[in-house]
Amino acid sequence: MQVFDLIYGSQISQQNLELISGLSLEDNKDFDFMDPKLRNYMLARLKSLATIKGENAFVSKQMPDFFSEVREVLKEDLGFLTKPKNPLFIGNLRSGSNVLDVPIYLQGDKVLSHHILIAGTTGKGKSVLVSNILWSAVDQEYCGILVLDPHDEYYGRDKLGLKDHPNREKVIYYTPSNAPAGAITLKINIEQLRPTHLEGVVNFSPAQVQALNLYYKEYGKKWIESIILEKKLQINNAFMPETLVVVKRRLLYLLDLDFSNNQLFCNGIFDLNAGESTISDITKELEQGHIVIIDTSNFSGALEILIGSIITTEIFRKYKYDKMHGTLSEKPVISVVLEEAPRVLGKEVLERGPNIFSTIAREGRKFKIGLAAITQLPSLIPREILANMNTKIILGIEMKPERQAIIESASQDLSEDDRTIASLDVGEALVSSNFAKFALPVSIPFFEEFAKKDIVKDDVKKEFDGVQLS
Amino acid sequence: MKFAHMADCHIGSWRDPKLKDISTEAFNKAVDKCIQEQVNFILIAGDLFNTSLPRLDNLKTVVTKLKELKDKNIPVYIIPGSHDFSPSGRTMLDVLEEAGLFINVVKGEVVENKLKLKFTIDEKTGTKITGLLGKRGSLERSYYESLHTENLENEEGYKIFVFHSGIDELKPKEMQNIISQPLSLLPKNFNYYAGGHMHIVKESKIEDYGTIVYPGPLFPNSFSELEELERGGFYIVEDGNLKWEPIQIHNTHKIILNCNHKTPELIEQEINDEIKDKEFNNTIVLIRLFGSLENGKPTDINFKSIFTKLYDKSAYFVMKNTNALTTKDFEEIKIDTKSVEDVEGKLIKEHLGQIKVENLSVEKEEAYTRELMNILSQEKAEGMTKTDFENKVNDDAKRVLELDVD
Repeated sequence: MQVFDLIYGSQISQQNLELISGLSLEDNKDFDFMDPKLRNYMLARLKSLATIKGENAFVSKQMPDFFSEVREVLKEDLGFLTKPKNPLFIGNLRSGSNVLDVPIYLQGDKVLSHHILIAGTTGKGKSVLVSNILWSAVDQEYCGILVLDPHDEYYGRDKLGLKDHPNREKVIYYTPSNAPAGAITLKINIEQLRPTHLEGVVNFSPAQVQALNLYYKEYGKKWIESIILEKKLQINNAFMPETLVVVKRRLLYLLDLDFSNNQLFCNGIFDLNAGESTISDITKELEQGHIVIIDTSNFSGALEILIGSIITTEIFRKYKYDKMHGTLSEKPVISVVLEEAPRVLGKEVLERGPNIFSTIAREGRKFKIGLAAITQLPSLIPREILANMNTKIILGIEMKPERQAIIESASQDLSEDDRTIASLDVGEALVSSNFAKFALPVSIPFFEEFAKKDIVKDDVKKEFDGVQLS
Repeated sequence: MKFAHMADCHIGSWRDPKLKDISTEAFNKAVDKCIQEQVNFILIAGDLFNTSLPRLDNLKTVVTKLKELKDKNIPVYIIPGSHDFSPSGRTMLDVLEEAGLFINVVKGEVVENKLKLKFTIDEKTGTKITGLLGKRGSLERSYYESLHTENLENEEGYKIFVFHSGIDELKPKEMQNIISQPLSLLPKNFNYYAGGHMHIVKESKIEDYGTIVYPGPLFPNSFSELEELERGGFYIVEDGNLKWEPIQIHNTHKIILNCNHKTPELIEQEINDEIKDKEFNNTIVLIRLFGSLENGKPTDINFKSIFTKLYDKSAYFVMKNTNALTTKDFEEIKIDTKSVEDVEGKLIKEHLGQIKVENLSVEKEEAYTRELMNILSQEKAEGMTKTDFENKVNDDAKRVLELDVD
């Protein structure tokens, strides 16, 4: 059973209660309840979560008998919460504010490919939860995770982070500048860009889209350079000259390019010389079940989405190919972690047209690709996309419309849990999933405590064959 | 100051009788150019030889040329590469260094379980040179991860870092399958980074890192490299200005044919049409066919006749590549790779995880496999008894597998 509400109860009628209260307010101290502790009490409202028989749990079909004994759940009662084959660690089971020594794992391959929504107000523990999930996923072979990290917080450049994981070789970190040892400087060769990558990133008009496509058709990999240098197209008057001027200006700004003396110069992460294999390298790492973190903290929102769009489009294309050729079953599930998800999955954005992320939200699970969308404002995401997110990790949310959006699209009936969600403390969550028997209350451990238990001191004596040592 | 930077000479890489001396010839030409240009010193960024114990005839030519440089007081600074390094320590490079023919700049000491590299100083120019070797399967990465960088980065003066590794950020798309490492593992603040291992000609200026240069091989080492590069070369660097010096030995002529919807007879006809009015004086001819045949199979194309015609037209050497040529009659098993090392790498990866050993990760299994293949590919040295050779292979294998048994 789950307590979902606490209310006052009393054997004294409401009328008498109000009368006594009124008299007390008027400072008449002589009035009091007779046997107050016997006549007034707290009522706990409970709902049935599951019926446990031995090591199995079932959905409850009947109410407990009258006067059944009620006690707090114990670790020994929860033998049915086993660790699945491809575990994804979420946290420890919580009974009220008490944390039980029962780790909660979901079936990771299913959960990740069927999308996760992580919702909660700032400061409630979303980042800690994601850090824990990523830390435990490093050891798993079944998934590759792409993290677009706008706060540069998961790798742990200056603090404990994924770089400290014992299997750190499975964590690949791309950053645009000042890469710490072992990290890769993010450079993407400009010739890797396609007009489709800009869909949902920049709001081009139909005429501007046509201009982009015509240049791509005629100049192939050199299409951006050709637009910037205003090279002629074979088709005359395909669009107004102003269209090209606008497209050129927007590309220069978005991609941080310059031109001078009929020559193109790159200032940002897009490059004419380096970064030819970056996208294929990232895709390959993900296919090998690694965690790829892209530090997007210095990027504009549009640029961050563009990078995510380029990589995700390529992964989606590869996995579609694998599915067609029957090799998808050998590949790990890929999850794309999106912070502030309404930027790409919001109603307003999608009204302008679909993008790769909305495509994945709708059909990614057929190709073993899922989203892990993080937000404080789930109500901005269209209902059909929320409904496609089959696991929801709900942290404390104070705003009623945001709770409502989640409750209405949850995998389990959470209609009675509104107040529970509102009162979730920092690090407390409610997990509703198609792959759980009931909505699980969990406590998210502090990342430092969670990670430190795995860190072992590397004191193996290193050998350096081939170096002439003195 | 003027110096030469070469890499990936791969002396002895070609086995065909007509090409087996070509890498030595390229080396001779490169050295002659260096002497003519009066360089102060020469850097060789790994893989001078194609194996750690090269054939005697190749060795003799190289030693003669190195001796010539020594006599002219042009020092040569090298690092071992993934081909000529031997984990057992038995490499011809050590012998040549003992003879004073060049200096291996991979020198250092272990401080607090980390590697602290030392500089070798070129006497004439005061240039400070250091570097790290390359190993098979890019296993040198662990050295970089355990490198003290402060002393290297804070050293004053003109500094050169010689390395034999692929760099993620600089890798071309067609080399996406080679193992590489991030640029951030290289120590910063060097004036010149002399690279080897990636067979590309590339110079990049990257913030904090100075100029990073790959000169490519002295002569292309495979069909695809011949196709891509056509010829080898090296860099001459004079007061910070870079100039790539090509080494022209033979011209190359490429015949690339899309065979989609064509019969073997038509393909033969088209190749004959292309070559009929041409002379191939001393040229290496490369024939690449791709696509799906309308009928028949690739072996139905009469290559023998085409080759004969080309040799009659004075071609020096003719090669064909039909890896991407398929047939509708049956599907070939294709391996889309470009060198022996690539094929090995791909096959190892495909078979990883089949042997279940406790505490053996696939990464470690891959590393063991590569090291063992390297050990097993060594040839018995002249004068070595069979028993000694077997014992050596056994010892090396035990060392790699970290076995403590007799």
